Amino acid sequence: MRPTAALVKAALNSNFGWSVVRHRLFVQKRDRWMLPLIALAVVGVVPTMVLYFRLLGAAFDMLKSLGQEQALLTLAVLAGQLIILVFGLFYLISTFYFSRDLEYLVALPLKPSQIMLSKFAVVLINEYLTMAPIILPALIVYGFKKHRGPGYWIIMPLTYLLLPVIPLAAAGLVVVGMMRLVNIGKKKDLLIIIGSLVLIAAALFLQFGLSRAAGTSDMDAQKIIAMIGSPDGLVQSIGRRFPPAIWATRLLYDGLLTVSGFTGFVLFAGLSILLFGGLMAGAQRLFFGGLVGLSERSGSPGRRAKAGAMIKVSSGRHPVRAIFLREVRLMNRTPIFLLNGVLGVLMVPVILALTLSSGKPGDDSAVILRLMTSAKPITGVLVTTMFMIVCATLSGVASSSFSREGRKFWVSKVIPVDYRQQVLAKFLHSMAIALLGITSAAAVLVFRFHLGTGQWLSSLALALPITAFLTSLNLAVDLARPLLDWISPQKAMKQNLNVLIAMLLDLGFLFLYGVAFIALGKSGLSLAAALGILAGLGLGLASLAYVLILQFALRRYPSIEA
Amino acid sequence: MIEIDHVSKSYNKGAVRAVDDLTLTVPSGEIFGFLGPNGAGKTTTIKMIVGILKPDGGTIRIAGLDNRADALCCKAMTAYVPDEPEIYERLKGIEYLNFIGDVYGVSGGDRQKRIEHWLEAFELSRAVADPIQTYSHGMRQKIILTAALMVKPKVFVLDEPMVGLDPRSSHLLKEAMREHCDGGGTLFFSTHIMEVAERLCDRIGIIHRGRLAAYGTMAELRDQAKDKASLENIFLELTES
Repeated sequence: MRPTAALVKAALNSNFGWSVVRHRLFVQKRDRWMLPLIALAVVGVVPTMVLYFRLLGAAFDMLKSLGQEQALLTLAVLAGQLIILVFGLFYLISTFYFSRDLEYLVALPLKPSQIMLSKFAVVLINEYLTMAPIILPALIVYGFKKHRGPGYWIIMPLTYLLLPVIPLAAAGLVVVGMMRLVNIGKKKDLLIIIGSLVLIAAALFLQFGLSRAAGTSDMDAQKIIAMIGSPDGLVQSIGRRFPPAIWATRLLYDGLLTVSGFTGFVLFAGLSILLFGGLMAGAQRLFFGGLVGLSERSGSPGRRAKAGAMIKVSSGRHPVRAIFLREVRLMNRTPIFLLNGVLGVLMVPVILALTLSSGKPGDDSAVILRLMTSAKPITGVLVTTMFMIVCATLSGVASSSFSREGRKFWVSKVIPVDYRQQVLAKFLHSMAIALLGITSAAAVLVFRFHLGTGQWLSSLALALPITAFLTSLNLAVDLARPLLDWISPQKAMKQNLNVLIAMLLDLGFLFLYGVAFIALGKSGLSLAAALGILAGLGLGLASLAYVLILQFALRRYPSIEA
Repeated sequence: MIEIDHVSKSYNKGAVRAVDDLTLTVPSGEIFGFLGPNGAGKTTTIKMIVGILKPDGGTIRIAGLDNRADALCCKAMTAYVPDEPEIYERLKGIEYLNFIGDVYGVSGGDRQKRIEHWLEAFELSRAVADPIQTYSHGMRQKIILTAALMVKPKVFVLDEPMVGLDPRSSHLLKEAMREHCDGGGTLFFSTHIMEVAERLCDRIGIIHRGRLAAYGTMAELRDQAKDKASLENIFLELTES
């Protein structure tokens, strides 16, 4: 096998752990209990997917009535590429520069571009999987509803395969350049975080700009009529800031055998190849420059403290405080954990607020929320409470708490600290980050949506115990099966199945909580009584879950083999 | 003292027996060297002693206490140094030492004195304020050893502690090991360096395919072997397949 092919194969195997999974399932015969759980999670997603397909079908019908059904394709392509651009950035930085196998790979007789190619392949495959549930349904619905022939069904997967290349390669070029630049400084980690935030802000700005461009609110009636009058008027309107979406639409809509479709293919594939080639060329020149310094020593002996200088020892902290401090330091000093965890919970409410905001006073979501609250106060409280809980708990901090320790988990096994105290420290750390999310959500609700004091305080009182309950639940999910053998920190958080399982459980619980909320609203009870019952329910659940997680820790910790 | 009583451990649902009915005792005041070829079961045994792995059967006692029933007391008496220096890379050396001091309850005064002594001895004083990710393999090994020595436990369990150490640090460690046991402590360590085991250990155990192939003082091992020239010869004779 040629070196590049062997490297790509090894990288994919290492990332997805096929060999490990096979070994665990068929040789060690462990983890078989996971199969029904995964099947259950898949079955749990089915109703949502059915709903999504129906929604897309309705969107197709509506667009068809305007003669603009191909705009569904443009929207799908555009959505897919924007998702990759925003979320791919974290992933690219992590995979390109923070994988632990890099120090072995650079010592092998391989070109930087070969190593970069293997890493790119890993990200690409992951993006195919990430995009699949969002983009493929749109392409399938269009194909069936439009009664497209075999040509479409051949071109569709081809287009899907090309779809992530342009945004990923473009983002990759920016990341490689940024890492080469930040590596010249002493505060590399800080620069990586700042650089990543700048890139994310730029991507969000682009997304915001594109969504505004796609909107029709700034058009007068004549322009709208002209747009609808042209068969691809809406396609042009949506895709005018991002032409690859138009090229892909032409390829899918007209097929390869027409001039328009073939031109779309040449442009779409051509730009993909050009950017990919640019990334490989950039990698050849810049990759090692950005990489080498990440693992090198931060200081020469001259920079190190003078011998005999006062060594600062602590005066004996309580073990829970010591472990809490360890958790804080490890999270805040690992750029990938910090970006996904702390900065994630702070930014998600702001991103949601930006997404919900069209910038027009007439259709402002703040007005909708106010109207909803004044019509039925309990519904308004439900919406704002859910918003706070989602912003606090879906970060994956609690559901990766044990996994993040990785191969250092042996320390937690040998230290003379009661497992319950260790879990308490992790619970407090996860709650501290969840509180940041709640605070950020509350700030958005107050300053962006002009929420009244009574409503945000009620929501806070309801959200806190439920967040504590879900934090214990998420810790339990990770404690049940911690992912300790990872080579990239990204794998401990974003690619951790525990985070996904916990998220599905959280959403399932929130659905039931919402049902209970609405049922209480309809019961005829006063608002204060209904909220009191919900707060009591939350406190009861939080207390029960906390007691159970401590008991579970006593049972589970001894059998985790680090 | 460490008592290992009919301890077994297997992997892959019993397909691989890593440790098979192991029984041995390491009394207080003794340095015990644990030898064996790669994959013989040394690290598995050590991980069971310190509570990282759970035995399938049998019991392990530290100073008379069951290391599973009285896990916290046993851990408080034991310091462990693994074969791979996998520690929190994002912490500074001093933060790691303080963390270990905090969880073992080492007082501020003792901590200051011991940390300064061992950092000076291992020539780590200049690096201790730097993040561990900037340390070499040997420096990481030394910071883990410093943490273990700071705790001053009754029982030391070391898995190939000399690997990665420079000759000076290796010498200092051997002196510390002897001093610890002369003061009534217990030391259990694995090694591949026959000379170290021969010179340093009061008793030696050789494990092969999970079973104890030989056990005793150097003189007792010589009596059991045909080729009595050196520990290396005895080792090779006992571990030939």
